Amino acid sequence: MIFLRKALSQGKRERQVVEDMKRHIRLLCTACGSFKSALEKDNRSLVHDVIDLEREGDSIRREIISKVHDGAFLPYIRPDLCKFVEVVDGVFDILEDTALFYLDAKLPEEMQDECVRVALLNQRICEMLLLTFEAMLKGEDLSEKTLAVRIYEKKVDDIKFDLFRDIRKTPINNFWEGKVLADFLSGLTTISDIIEDASDYVQIINVAMK
Amino acid sequence: MKFREFMTTRIESIDCDKSVYDAIEKMVDRRIRSLVVVFPGNETENGVITARDIVFKALAKGIDLKKTKASHVASRPLYCVDKNTELDDMAKSMQEADVARIFVCDGEKIIGVVSLMDLMTATLVRRARGNDLS
Repeated sequence: MIFLRKALSQGKRERQVVEDMKRHIRLLCTACGSFKSALEKDNRSLVHDVIDLEREGDSIRREIISKVHDGAFLPYIRPDLCKFVEVVDGVFDILEDTALFYLDAKLPEEMQDECVRVALLNQRICEMLLLTFEAMLKGEDLSEKTLAVRIYEKKVDDIKFDLFRDIRKTPINNFWEGKVLADFLSGLTTISDIIEDASDYVQIINVAMK
Repeated sequence: MKFREFMTTRIESIDCDKSVYDAIEKMVDRRIRSLVVVFPGNETENGVITARDIVFKALAKGIDLKKTKASHVASRPLYCVDKNTELDDMAKSMQEADVARIFVCDGEKIIGVVSLMDLMTATLVRRARGNDLS
């Protein structure tokens, strides 16, 4: 554990990378929060905030990868760090796609509340990812944090089952209307899966550095 | 609402005149462990039928599932807590009433149900978040 602290705190480049990684996850929490607000208030203009945040996230990802390949951290840990950043960036991508589907989707009123709940859970699981990452930096035990991530993911899974059962009963006018709605729900309920993967990578980095 | 993210907001119900068999079918189809038994026009009489009720009050006694009404094996009254109830108080209410699930109400309206499993996971998440469940 002492090695982990040393590895993550020594050197200016390492500190910068760690700060950027935290900024990346925080930005994702903000993006998830904006998307939840957009759904809750049915305010489609808020969706553009998500798109802007995704672009900012992309730029942070490039900075991190560039700094890591420029010599931050020992070579053996770099692939895991880069993979973690790529997985977090993957969440931004799915969130953006889902937000864009939302702009075009005709969301049935009776599904609105459940979709907002999923968006709230996505925001919560993202906050938990940040707490897990910070706990790793402090050298704390991660088990309770990763369990919380899995609990949130299971909650989303339970709602997903009901949402996809409901969607089959929803009347649609044409193929594209149905496809956009299905893609929106699929994206909304996949976000937590990817964040869970990111949390697994935090655990891998933690173990790799011991 | 402090408990919003953990409670189940989809409340499934069955009419009091339906049979225990109908209740079982609905529970199996929806993958749920309880149903609100509704007494139309007299909501204060509403009860809940759980897997426990079905096993102990119907199956174990060998009664005819298709001829017995769901209301006959339902537990009453429904235990409810206010939507603003804190996690710890909710646990206390469930312990005192000796029930495995409690309904969350906004006035007279049921807006969710919290099971022991939900309580357990909410408590674990609260610990992971440093006791912040706002």
